Amino acid sequence: MIDGKIIGELEKSALEEISKAVNFKELENARINYIGRKGKITSTLRAIGKIPEEKRPEMGQLINDVKIKVSNAYEAKNSELSSGLSDKDPYPGDPTLPGRKNWQGGLHVLHKVTKEIKEIFYGMGYSLTEGPDVELDYYNFEALNFPSDHPSRDAQDTFYINRDILMRTQTSPVQVRFMEKNTPPVRIMSPGRVYRNETPDPSHSAEFFQMEGLYVDKNVSMVDLKNDLTFFVKTYFGYEAKLRFRPHFFPFTEPSAEVDMSCFVCKGEGCSVCGKTGWIEIMGAGMVHPNVFRFVGYEQDLYTGFAFGMGIDRIAMLKYGINDIRHFLNNDLRFLEQFWRQKGWE
Amino acid sequence: MKVNLSWLKRYVNIEEDPETLAADLTMFGLNVERVEKKTPGFEGVVFGRVIEVTGHPNADNLRVCKVDVGGGTPLSIVCGAPNVRPGLGVPVAVTGAVLSGDFKIKKTKLRGEVSEGMICSQSELELGNDSSGIMELDFELAYGTDLADKLCDTEVIFDIEITPNRPDQLSHLGIAREVAAMYDRELIMPELMELRSGGDFKIEIKNGDDCPRYSAALIDNVKIEESPEWIKQDLISVGIKPVNNIVDITNFVLMEMGQPLHAFDSDRLAEYAILVRRAVNGEKIKTLDGISRELKSNNLVITDRVNTIAVAGVMGGEETEISAHTESIILESAIFNPKVIRQSRRELGLDTEASYRFERGSDIGITVNALKRACKLIEDLKAGSVKKLYSDTLDSDISVYRKMISTRRKKVNRIMGTNLSSEEIASHLEKLQLDTIVKEETVNVSVPTFRLDLNTEIDIIEEVARVYGYDSIKGEGTGLINSFPVIDSTDKRNEYLCEYLASKGYAEVITSSFNSKEDLETFGWSANDRRCNPVQISNPLTSSQSVLRTSLIPGLLGVVANNPVSERKGIRIFEMGKVFLHMNDGDGLPGEEFYLTAVLTRNSDPRQWISEERKIDYFDMKGELESILSIFNNLEDIRMVRKEEGNQKHIFQWYKKNKLLAESGKIPDETAKKYDIESKVFYFVVYLDNLERDGFTRKRYIDPSPYPAVKRDLCVMTGERVTFSEIKAVIYKNSKYLENILLFDYYKDDKPGNNKRSYTFTLNFRSEESTLKDKRIDKIIEKILRALEGQLKVFLRKE
Repeated sequence: MIDGKIIGELEKSALEEISKAVNFKELENARINYIGRKGKITSTLRAIGKIPEEKRPEMGQLINDVKIKVSNAYEAKNSELSSGLSDKDPYPGDPTLPGRKNWQGGLHVLHKVTKEIKEIFYGMGYSLTEGPDVELDYYNFEALNFPSDHPSRDAQDTFYINRDILMRTQTSPVQVRFMEKNTPPVRIMSPGRVYRNETPDPSHSAEFFQMEGLYVDKNVSMVDLKNDLTFFVKTYFGYEAKLRFRPHFFPFTEPSAEVDMSCFVCKGEGCSVCGKTGWIEIMGAGMVHPNVFRFVGYEQDLYTGFAFGMGIDRIAMLKYGINDIRHFLNNDLRFLEQFWRQKGWE
Repeated sequence: MKVNLSWLKRYVNIEEDPETLAADLTMFGLNVERVEKKTPGFEGVVFGRVIEVTGHPNADNLRVCKVDVGGGTPLSIVCGAPNVRPGLGVPVAVTGAVLSGDFKIKKTKLRGEVSEGMICSQSELELGNDSSGIMELDFELAYGTDLADKLCDTEVIFDIEITPNRPDQLSHLGIAREVAAMYDRELIMPELMELRSGGDFKIEIKNGDDCPRYSAALIDNVKIEESPEWIKQDLISVGIKPVNNIVDITNFVLMEMGQPLHAFDSDRLAEYAILVRRAVNGEKIKTLDGISRELKSNNLVITDRVNTIAVAGVMGGEETEISAHTESIILESAIFNPKVIRQSRRELGLDTEASYRFERGSDIGITVNALKRACKLIEDLKAGSVKKLYSDTLDSDISVYRKMISTRRKKVNRIMGTNLSSEEIASHLEKLQLDTIVKEETVNVSVPTFRLDLNTEIDIIEEVARVYGYDSIKGEGTGLINSFPVIDSTDKRNEYLCEYLASKGYAEVITSSFNSKEDLETFGWSANDRRCNPVQISNPLTSSQSVLRTSLIPGLLGVVANNPVSERKGIRIFEMGKVFLHMNDGDGLPGEEFYLTAVLTRNSDPRQWISEERKIDYFDMKGELESILSIFNNLEDIRMVRKEEGNQKHIFQWYKKNKLLAESGKIPDETAKKYDIESKVFYFVVYLDNLERDGFTRKRYIDPSPYPAVKRDLCVMTGERVTFSEIKAVIYKNSKYLENILLFDYYKDDKPGNNKRSYTFTLNFRSEESTLKDKRIDKIIEKILRALEGQLKVFLRKE
């Protein structure tokens, strides 16, 4: 039998449930539970026939009042929860006004290129290793088979700290440092900054970046060298790129080779980028010289290996047609941002 | 090295066109960097044939010629050359042609006779100095054919990069030897004069290491005059200035055979002898260039026992120089120790064709042959009479200097990745004039003396590879080696950080490793700060690049200066790179530390319609640093310590326990001004070497609590010098279940002398086990407030 007390309790619990609702789902549940078609409060109206006739109008009025109260509470809560919503135009009249912007940033192009190269060599099973920029003459020259006071050193004008310490002129000393501490198989890459005492001009910089590679194991041959470098070049520059290896001289490799890639501008026809030859020099490489193995204590008849080195600046210049190497360390943001995106930002 | 193609062709048959030869040489290891063809000094000159020559009616020394240049009627041309005659093929500058000096050919009248062009001499076409008559063309071409290509193609100069290990290639004969090997052709040796050993001229060498061989020949009745045209042209074509017949012959032999020769005026010698010795400290000589030079004991000199007559292998002395009056000469052909020559060359700053070659090493077998060649030329040119004897310090047979290198077939194939037979290996080597004997699996190689670079097995293997052809070795990028890389976690972390900053609107920059000492001094770091004591470069490019950077900040401020406010309204830049700090132990190398440094200045956001402009402030910078540190650490474990140094007042160092993780601060305005920067500059440095990397790559996952957080807002006040971080520390210490503290309001009374501040924040509590009850939180709040009051004199703000 319904009475005022029961209605009062229903009202109280309905209002409490509505006020506690933290989302639309809980609120909707409360509505259905109390004032829905089969809700508890709605049901009391249907049960009104069971109470004495003279009390029915009074009780009906009471239930209706409660229902309106709960209903209002529901509406109030519903608009509270919806306060963050609106289907009105979400812009002040002109939807073409520029969107809100933040400063945009990006990686330096040399970093970007280094990273791309690194990822390809990671995929080929090369591990990363690094060495110091300030190096001992021993690692930069002597252990790489550059005899002291020999013309082979002339090609690399060197900054000296003192007689024995210098700014590395190549990333190759990392080879020696690594082999001294590790036994084959050795398969490493080593990007880094190198230094040459050269007056800067569009194609020379006193500081630039190289990527060194080294692979030593029991039966490494020139075929492996050609395989790895061909894979790299075709992956990086596109499958249609062709390579040629031509004999050269480096003190720490023998046989040595300079590696040319078919010019991607003219596809080998000859243009100003490749100096009309159809070929672009991209790196130096060769089989590790037995003297280097001797310096690091590897048994010369047991191991063979190859090494290669490429100029990262040069590759970036080729890739983007940059004609002045000095742009890289100049850091004009109008230069740098070109490698992040197209035009159209602040 | 410059190589004249027609000169080269005297020693080896070359049918290939210049471009093909250049490409083939390049693939053979002689990188042809440039092919220069003499550009024609004329335009519109065609092939013609003289068909009739008649006298000029008004001038005895002129003739009127009919010349067929194709196209119907022959031209009528007035010509004064003595050699003009019917039937001659000649270059004809027709009307409209342009000769050197912008000389335009027009139809004209010469002493009354019409001339419809000009028959040209060699000098008029700038093809040589011969102006004695018109050029006689001994080839056949269609009349009227333009001659530019035909005539100028006769001089092709290759610029070839010769690697330092191959001094034997520094001559035309040396290059010819490579061409012969490459094309498997015969090498044609230049003509020599037969000389016998046993000259009575005395040669003494103090130290055989300094001068392994000295040979000399004597020439009398010398007649100094200009060289014939062909020698002069040859020398000019490879960049050598002709002087006189004797000097030109020595230079010719140098460029032909690679052996530097020197001629002394023997009448000027005090004694009729040569002594090779080290210079005495302070000894002086006036060299051929007219400069008086003081020598040291590490310079090698040539003397006549009394006077110093040359700096050995570098330059002769003026005193015994060949002059117009020279009547007899001593021709020196010697070889010297490369290191000694290199030292002299460097100390005296004298780069000569001779020193360049001696420095790289010389063929001990060549000295006498070079003399024989020079003597042959002297005789041919009638420049003097050769005494057919030579003096020489070498008494052993030259064959003892041939090296024997045994080469294993297996090793060759292991390096090259091939499967060549011993016979194939030998046949490749024979092409290079190496003698071989095959003994089953071994090829024994006898190396001629000119191949100084071949000393060990690997040197021979390289030659096999070169002749076999690098292009014939397989390796197309398939069938790669299968191995597993070690992914370097530090590198991975660094790459992540760079990408992270880039995505937050930072431009990555790369600045020089060099700084000037003055740059470092503008930061007001104290004198004992290691940043003020940089590593010095002993031979810097400029004084502003004389030390190694100890901080990335100067470089970054330079970048701000390079990007003025007119171009950039806001700057957020960073660099990840090395700094170099002195170390007093180990191998003497400086310590290289890896820093991430960022600089922020000017506007916080791009200027736009939707928001107000605002300058970058301290909290922009601090937020960035906190967000980076929080990638690797719990921020609550990090404390900021103020560091006052010089004029820098706002530096903070960020420590985790005793590890210095970062530094942040504001650049003093004085310093910013020196870089022409107009806005406040904030920076932070992350010391990457101290930053965690394992915590980042191997982080353990934590299950998120299924229970809701309970939030409480508090507003506290303080009048004391208490910081928010102290308040936070006390709260953390005194509250269980506290997830975080979120400050959302801060107020400071700006009245001077008043230090009143209020902090309003939300505390989030959460349990992993259950929903927290209000009563429980009430108790925690009470505890927090008691502790704040007791320990910090921080009170709950009453409404």
